[in-house]
Amino acid sequence: MMQAWLILAAALFSLGLFGLLTRRNAVGILLSVELMANAVNVVLVAFGRWHGVADGQVFALFTTAITVAEAAIGLALVILLYRQRQDVLVDAATEMRG
Amino acid sequence: MLTDHLLSLTVAAPFVAAVVLLLAPDLKGAAAKTVALMGAGASLLGALAVWINYDLSQGGLQLAEQYPLVPAYGISLHLAVDGWGVALLLLTGVIITTGVLATWTLEHREREFLVLLLVLVAGVYGVFVSQDLFVFFLFYEIAVLPMYLLIGIWGSEGKVERGGPLGFVWDKLNIGGREYSAMKLTLMLLAGSAAILVAMFAMFHAAGGKSFDFSVLQGFDYPEHTQLWAFVLLWFGFGSLGGVFPFHTWSPDGHAAAPTAVSMLHAGVLMKLGAFGVIRIGMMMLPDGAAYWVPYVGAVAVLNVVWGALSAMAQKDLKYIIAYSSVSHMGVVMLGAATLTADGWNGAIYQMVAHGMMTGLFFGLVGLVYHRAHSRWVPGMGGFAHAMPGVAAFFILAGLSSLGLPGLAGFVAEFLVFLGAWQSAHAWWAIPGIIGAFITAVYVLRVGRDVFFGQGPPATFHELSDAKGSEWAALVALGVCLIVLGVYPNVILEFIAQATSEYLPLVVKGAASGVAVLP
Amino acid sequence: MLELTPLQWAQLALWVPLLSAVVLAAVWPLRKAGGPAAGVSLVAATVNLAAAAVLLFGWLNGAEDVRHTAPWLIGGQGLIELGVHLDGVSVSMLLVVAVVAWGVQVFSLGYLADEPKAGFGRYYTWQSLFLFSMNSLVLAPNLLQLFLGWELVGLCSYLLIGYWFTKPSAAKAALKAFWVTKFADMGLLLGLIVLYTHTGGFEWTATTTAATTVTLLFFLAVMGKSAQFPLHIWLPDAMEGPTPVSALLHAATMVAAGVFLVVRAAPLFAQAPLTGEVMTWIGAFTALFAASIAVVQTDIKKVLAYSTCSQLGYMVAALGSGAVLGGYFHLTTHAFFKALLFLAAGGLIHAVHSNEISHMGGLLKKLPVTGWTFIIGALALAGFPGFSGFFSKDLILEGVAHQGQWVPLAMLLVGAFLTAFYMGRVVFIALLGAPSEHAAHAHEGGGSMKLPLLVLAVPALALGFFAGPVAGLWGHEYHFHLGWVGLTASALGLAGIGLSWVMFAKGGAQGLLAAFAPVGALARSGAVDRLWATGYRQGLQVLGGAIAWLDRYVIDALMNLIGYLSLALGDRLRAVQTGNVRDYVYAVVAGLLLLGAWGAMFPG
Repeated sequence: MMQAWLILAAALFSLGLFGLLTRRNAVGILLSVELMANAVNVVLVAFGRWHGVADGQVFALFTTAITVAEAAIGLALVILLYRQRQDVLVDAATEMRG
Repeated sequence: MLTDHLLSLTVAAPFVAAVVLLLAPDLKGAAAKTVALMGAGASLLGALAVWINYDLSQGGLQLAEQYPLVPAYGISLHLAVDGWGVALLLLTGVIITTGVLATWTLEHREREFLVLLLVLVAGVYGVFVSQDLFVFFLFYEIAVLPMYLLIGIWGSEGKVERGGPLGFVWDKLNIGGREYSAMKLTLMLLAGSAAILVAMFAMFHAAGGKSFDFSVLQGFDYPEHTQLWAFVLLWFGFGSLGGVFPFHTWSPDGHAAAPTAVSMLHAGVLMKLGAFGVIRIGMMMLPDGAAYWVPYVGAVAVLNVVWGALSAMAQKDLKYIIAYSSVSHMGVVMLGAATLTADGWNGAIYQMVAHGMMTGLFFGLVGLVYHRAHSRWVPGMGGFAHAMPGVAAFFILAGLSSLGLPGLAGFVAEFLVFLGAWQSAHAWWAIPGIIGAFITAVYVLRVGRDVFFGQGPPATFHELSDAKGSEWAALVALGVCLIVLGVYPNVILEFIAQATSEYLPLVVKGAASGVAVLP
Repeated sequence: MLELTPLQWAQLALWVPLLSAVVLAAVWPLRKAGGPAAGVSLVAATVNLAAAAVLLFGWLNGAEDVRHTAPWLIGGQGLIELGVHLDGVSVSMLLVVAVVAWGVQVFSLGYLADEPKAGFGRYYTWQSLFLFSMNSLVLAPNLLQLFLGWELVGLCSYLLIGYWFTKPSAAKAALKAFWVTKFADMGLLLGLIVLYTHTGGFEWTATTTAATTVTLLFFLAVMGKSAQFPLHIWLPDAMEGPTPVSALLHAATMVAAGVFLVVRAAPLFAQAPLTGEVMTWIGAFTALFAASIAVVQTDIKKVLAYSTCSQLGYMVAALGSGAVLGGYFHLTTHAFFKALLFLAAGGLIHAVHSNEISHMGGLLKKLPVTGWTFIIGALALAGFPGFSGFFSKDLILEGVAHQGQWVPLAMLLVGAFLTAFYMGRVVFIALLGAPSEHAAHAHEGGGSMKLPLLVLAVPALALGFFAGPVAGLWGHEYHFHLGWVGLTASALGLAGIGLSWVMFAKGGAQGLLAAFAPVGALARSGAVDRLWATGYRQGLQVLGGAIAWLDRYVIDALMNLIGYLSLALGDRLRAVQTGNVRDYVYAVVAGLLLLGAWGAMFPG
């Protein structure tokens, strides 16, 4: 049973990673990051269950809260980016080049 | 009881004044300066109270206070004062009070300036009374860091001639600019701090990792190899603030760029933190390391004395001259420390106080001249004594103290250091030391002549006038201190000698622990 | 008469001048008022004179020596003390200083009357400070206090030479005097440190194996303070100060401090025959060298300055040969007659507003008191039989002869001849010669300028007859006896006066003037001066410049190079920041993979 959860988490994580590496759209990248974060949540809950303690679920709630905050900031940035450039393609936005 | 919290009150006084200034943006001009003066004055009163309350017959650490900070690592705010601390607290109190008085004419963002200055000095007080290495280091950094802003924002630009084999570096770094000077000073001192940090943690772990308290770290018998490399780190770390050759080069640029009160405080007190750290932490906690490295420390100190004096001779910018002379005089402190004799150590601590007062007076005077003449270029000056006889008189007074004239503070210190040097295992150290004092006589009095004597001042200087009001107070206070310390050294020497007699046996096995007592 | 103990009198002599100096320095309205400031200082000088006189009277009547000390420094080997030591040596020197200082302060009232008030007040402040410093030197119970006083009188010398600080030459001369003496004082400081390390104290009675080192180091300081060749160069320049200052500091008292040190530390010097040998030679050479330069000087103060060098050379030579009595007695008589000469010369200068002896001439008729007292001083200096200088110089020459130091003795004898000759020259030209137009309106100064001359003329004339009691004060015996050395010296002195009479009063034997031409050329070229100036410019200054250059362009440049390298490295590394978010993502993933791979390769 445990294995199945881990495979699910790995699949989710890989999906997210793939999206992160291939997407040019900022919203897509953000969604991919969320996927990866949720993969971690799955692992946390699964191991919590396996050990028979609630720690995993507590941590999962924590990460969810943090991911929400992260998503809020990320989306705000995306909106600002859109206002500035009328698109959300990350390849074009290279103002921070050193 | 007030005396139960005397040390924490003394340290807190300038800090409280800084907080008040920070919270009250409406305080401007004279009001802000008055608040700062009250904070500084309160700390001076605190230092005087410490001086009165310290019981010489008992000796040791007194007026102790201890508040746990991080019990898991044995870190606590442990404050206590020894004989050295008494003398150095007095020095700090006098310098910060006169420093505030001497900058009464400052008119640019004075509130922020004073906040930083007061925070800095709270750090200095803290270092001199900390009995916990972690807290010691914390205060040390508090004292060092505000310097960056103080010089970077309120500093002045220096005129620097380019050249030399590495001249191409000049433009890149904007050498001579005040940001350059501030950055150089901060970076060099932080490099030192990094070394101190490493040595500090090494000592903490070697001693069991239970406590940062001096009493624990000091008594521990560290393995010899730890002592050897940790001492070098501490010597470099603290030494870079103490102006030790060749890490002294921030000093001329930094002091030249800094505004008056900052120069006074930095050369007057901050550089002493460095030398104090070498003795208090380096030598006293790592006696074997000290014993091994002392010949080199002393030789470098001797080089400092002569190098600084000769460099000062060739300078034409008034502030550079005084800054190099500080490098030279701090060499005397390190020389005294390296002798590992009672006379040498007494002289070293005494020189910290004497040089602090003397260089405070010097920088105060130079700031005064700069404020009126808008120039620090000595060759363009002359005959200033006509317009500012008082300033001229005090300049000569400070100069005489710096060249070691009997009756002024500098003599007592240098005499003791040279006495110690001759009694040490390296008697020859005394000779370059004495020659350094002679070279000081050459350049200091020559500057006095070039700036103040001769026919009336050149026509380009039309705003010259003598010191006024609060400036007088600062000059007279420092001048009187120089004379009192020169005429009756026991005002503080008793305290210094008491602490030396307790500490020297920790470093030199078999050193006499008794101290001659005044009848 | 007040009933005070000797110690209390001594403290009065010490503290009253200090009090006067402090009051004048701190209360600036009083100082700037001029006249009242002089009044305060004079009261102090008078109290000091009274105290010194009472003390001397007591010791002439066989008072017990007094020693009182109090701790000053806490040394590693015990307390280091200062205090007061009263014995025949210190008490007699105290009176010499007191008399001359009092005379000089009175004389200055008239001499500097035209000065601005603030300057006048400043002058008297320094005068009081000097009196205190000199007294603390004289009354020192150990060599450390002697050194403290020694440095302080050096400071007063600097301040008083530079009294006219707006005059560049005066500011320069003050600096030169301070530098040269400070250079020499390094010897005294080091000597004290060596003495302390060996004996644990600063006592002059100590016995030590390091006596030769210590005394040689001391002698370096003596050469500076007492203007011995080749460190004499500051003394002639010091004449830039007001003439009364030259009389007090640079003739009678301060320059004699070097000799006083040797007298005090005689027990130490007695342990070092080598030092004595060196002293005899240097002293004798200075006596001859300076006397021959004095012959060609045309500035009356310069003549007297070189004469002072020369006479100090006599004292040093005497002390070197162990003739302590002769050296010290000559110090005493010289203090009086040289102060007298300087003050009288000041009177002459005041009258004609020039230092050149050729601008004077026939002044004896116009300034009888000044002129006659000058002649008394000149005769004493020339060692004319019966005058004070005759007795003391005789003692010196006998002492050197007694040691069998024939070459130094010859130098001193020739010096005696030259002394008489150059003093005769000054007298015959300035006082008796044909009147110059500069001297047309010359007239005698006021009472304040005459009284000190008359007072000083008495010991200059008669002190020699009291050699017995004075020697008794110092624990020596004195019997007058004129041997062949003394007779020769007297004959040479008379010959010198005679020759100067022939040459400058009668205008004969002018060919001899040419004989002094080389000396004149040497003196004008200032060879020794130039040597030191070269040492300073080519040595110290060049070294300073080189060190400063190294500091800035090598040491500091290395520090800057580190900063520069960090910047340059950053410049290269900034290319990594492409600004493209996806590049960063790739980097993060690559890092993650590397970490994973590392973890897989090194498990645990």
